[in-house]
Amino acid sequence: MTADAATGSTSPFEATRIVSTPTPQARDPRDWTSEMLSVARARDRECFMRIYDYFMPRLCLYLRGLGAAEMIAEELAQEALLRLWQRADMYDPSRSRLSTWLFRIARNLHIDRVRREPNWIQVLDEPERMDMDDESGVATSAESYAEHVDLKSRIDKLPAIQARLIRMSYFEAKSHQEIADELGMPLGTVKSSLRRAFLKLQGDVRGTP
Amino acid sequence: MTPCHHLDPSTVMAYAAGTLSLELGVVVATHLSVCAHCRRQVRDAERIGGLLVEQQQAATIDAPRRESLRAAMLERLDDAVPALPPVPQNDAESADPDRLPKPLHPYFGPSLSALKWRWMAPGMYCIRARRSGGGSLFMLKIAAGKSMPLHSHGRSELTQILQGAYSDALGHFAPGDVADLDSDVLHQPVTVPGVPCICVAALDAPLRFPGWLARKLQPLVGL
Repeated sequence: MTADAATGSTSPFEATRIVSTPTPQARDPRDWTSEMLSVARARDRECFMRIYDYFMPRLCLYLRGLGAAEMIAEELAQEALLRLWQRADMYDPSRSRLSTWLFRIARNLHIDRVRREPNWIQVLDEPERMDMDDESGVATSAESYAEHVDLKSRIDKLPAIQARLIRMSYFEAKSHQEIADELGMPLGTVKSSLRRAFLKLQGDVRGTP
Repeated sequence: MTPCHHLDPSTVMAYAAGTLSLELGVVVATHLSVCAHCRRQVRDAERIGGLLVEQQQAATIDAPRRESLRAAMLERLDDAVPALPPVPQNDAESADPDRLPKPLHPYFGPSLSALKWRWMAPGMYCIRARRSGGGSLFMLKIAAGKSMPLHSHGRSELTQILQGAYSDALGHFAPGDVADLDSDVLHQPVTVPGVPCICVAALDAPLRFPGWLARKLQPLVGL
């Protein structure tokens, strides 16, 4: 299969009408927003630990993918979830889905750790500071995020190579060049496939057509 | 400053996912500090990342380990909340033309006029970051109206214009614009007349210059 055929822009995805019923892949359709709001309002430890139990092993997998050793991944995931508890009053569901917020915090903790050498500084994009997000011109209603976006099945509907590249891009500590070398594809093809995939998924996560 | 040339979505995704090289990440952060369009792209890429984390399988952690981590977390819920750092960057500061964008301060200091340029070739000056990871991070100052050697790049290059401007086959690049290039692009930037062009750039791997003159230049340039 040539790289060009693999990355063709036609996708069954556009023709499929997505309905909001959770699919079998959506392992837990729970609305984490309401759990998080209970944590913020009532400092509800049980709610928090439900969030913890769900996200802790998933953050670990993401962090291991970025190249963190197992113990480090656990330590960073614990730290990210502790921040969530400590900053719960900053959580604004109209600005960000809970998983987005957690993802940013975990990622930045990871980068900060990598940069803990002299002259590397903390990432400036303060992930806990929701008030600094500028979201002008983007739909930010609470409803648009409350919708269950089954991204996993949407990724599965992308051309196979795009789906693979998306997963590699988010879950493997590899540069685009390393991905290109590993798959035997030109760097330009890797980038253009990722570009197409991103533009398709972006429509979904923005809650706009 | 409203940039016209933006980051490639593939770069945005790698940055959001935390997989971009540290040097390229500094240039991305510099661009984001002036570009609302790309900041929104990063937010979208973070949403994709968050949903992927939410919808993926859980890592296997054996039961006793899971229990001890859980107990440790419960114990830490009473920890003091660490203070947030003050809101960075006020408008007066960012309006100061001598002030470099904040993401560059750890590597080049805060002041444009205090930079200690090193001669590289006629009309070309360079400062390498004090220290970085595997790639290279540097600032370039190129005299007005100068033509750079034709070159392509071994891997990825990101260049953000801070002052002055240049043109090449891809267009006109002015302050705030970022050029997001890979090895497929062979280009020959020409700086515009008037002011020198100052930019910050990061490379994943060395530049490749075609031709004997450029090959002679390469060790001199040292990029």
